[in-house]
Amino acid sequence: MDLLFVARGPRVALIYYFSDLVRGAAAATATFLLAERFDGIGAWTKPQVLFLLGYALLVRLLIDSFFNYNLAHVSRRIGRGQLDHLLIQPQPLWMALVTEGFAPVTGTGMLLPSAILLGAAGQQLNLIFSPGWCLQFIAYLVASITVVLSFEYAWASIAFWAPRAAEEINSHTWDLLQALTPFPLDGLSGWALGSLLTVVPAGIVAWYPSRALLGLAPLAWPDAAVAPAAAVLFAAFAAWIFTRGLHHYGRTGSSRYLDYGHRR
Amino acid sequence: MRLPEDAYLKTASMAAAAFFDTPFFLLEYALRFLRVLVLLALWRTVFASHATGSMTLPQVLTYTLIAEVFAAQLNLRTSLNDAMWDGTLVIRFLRPMGLIRQLAAEMAGRWSIDLVLFSLPLFAIAPLLGVDPRPASPPHAILFITSLALSIVVGLALEQFSGAIVVAFEQPVWLVDYVRVAIATVLSGQLLPLAYYPAGIGELFSWLPFAATTWAPLAIYTGAGNPPLLIATQLFWGITLWPIANWIWRANREKLASYGG
Repeated sequence: MDLLFVARGPRVALIYYFSDLVRGAAAATATFLLAERFDGIGAWTKPQVLFLLGYALLVRLLIDSFFNYNLAHVSRRIGRGQLDHLLIQPQPLWMALVTEGFAPVTGTGMLLPSAILLGAAGQQLNLIFSPGWCLQFIAYLVASITVVLSFEYAWASIAFWAPRAAEEINSHTWDLLQALTPFPLDGLSGWALGSLLTVVPAGIVAWYPSRALLGLAPLAWPDAAVAPAAAVLFAAFAAWIFTRGLHHYGRTGSSRYLDYGHRR
Repeated sequence: MRLPEDAYLKTASMAAAAFFDTPFFLLEYALRFLRVLVLLALWRTVFASHATGSMTLPQVLTYTLIAEVFAAQLNLRTSLNDAMWDGTLVIRFLRPMGLIRQLAAEMAGRWSIDLVLFSLPLFAIAPLLGVDPRPASPPHAILFITSLALSIVVGLALEQFSGAIVVAFEQPVWLVDYVRVAIATVLSGQLLPLAYYPAGIGELFSWLPFAATTWAPLAIYTGAGNPPLLIATQLFWGITLWPIANWIWRANREKLASYGG
């Protein structure tokens, strides 16, 4: 499907790709410039900040590549009544969700900035990519992606009950996470930091894993396990509320369209 | 058709009422509040280890807070994109009012709610966040008002320019919007004062139109810039951009096609 989009009009696909590239670069710019100007931010050296930014963009890249076409903004699908398109497919919903959002071509706009940042950081930090470190890196990546998607799906579930009002709720929740992810959060007060690790888990997406991977946090097991444990908890909550919403949807269906086809 | 005298006021009032169509604007406020907390903490961390720079810590903290207090004006958005996206721009063309004027009226209506629900409360609690929200001096406050008005003029011109680009090049609305937001974030000084950009980049950016929308008023407010020069730059961009944006829009508006609904 994604290749078809490119084949139909490479010009449009290229523009989309370029826009993603610009957005990726812009998302990291403020923190990058600050780190460049001051040769780091607090306890974070410049290469460590580069790693944090590269990691944050990599999480976004993977979500864009595997959960594209509004699957990471699922409130739009639910709110517009488009979930039916998935439900009528002869496969379980989870399988449809996992397969339909695959966009290996158009979803990779963040690849270049992410690769440059991670590559530069790896070189300057002399990171040793031992099998253990790589496994930990992958585990944290999966945890970060799970946290973002769980946050999105939990909020999107509101659209089952209020499709019109909540259709765009994932735009807000997405911005909420993405805007706060590429910052080292060390200087925040206790309650603000607590909020960014629980209510709005932006800190778990990149800051916490980067600290652990770079050895900025003690690698005692409770600390190292925070991000994966949080991912499991967020996923469980999202699955619970999404399933409840789906049951409600099963009874009511979509109420967004009038009998003659127009959207309410 | 003769337009009622308070037509624009009524438009603004209707837009303000529509603000509460969904309660999810609270999420946006949460984002803005958390962002300001994160940025304030970031600046304190930076200054704790590097006590240098062309602005003092209190200046930077005030800059960061005021940028969020006036975010709606400094990075202004009308509903032009939404109207192009959902096709209601056609209805706006039918109204006996100028397109940009009615969009500006709607925007002002939304600002009134934003002011009461977010900007004033944030300004009021600034001391609790350890920030002095006052301008550098009373003359700076007066110059800030002038600069903010010019920032709105330049911002509206950029908005029309961006809409004209969408129509002229027949590009998806949101695509152009994403790129514009990304570029503006970097060039305007919205997140980071231009004075803190490395190796003279900030000085270069300060001559561009995006800086005229954000950096100029905030630099005046915090006493970090030269007010006559900043206001002159804003005037230049206001005078230059409007005719260009108008011309591109008028030359291309008949190309407009929308499939919304």
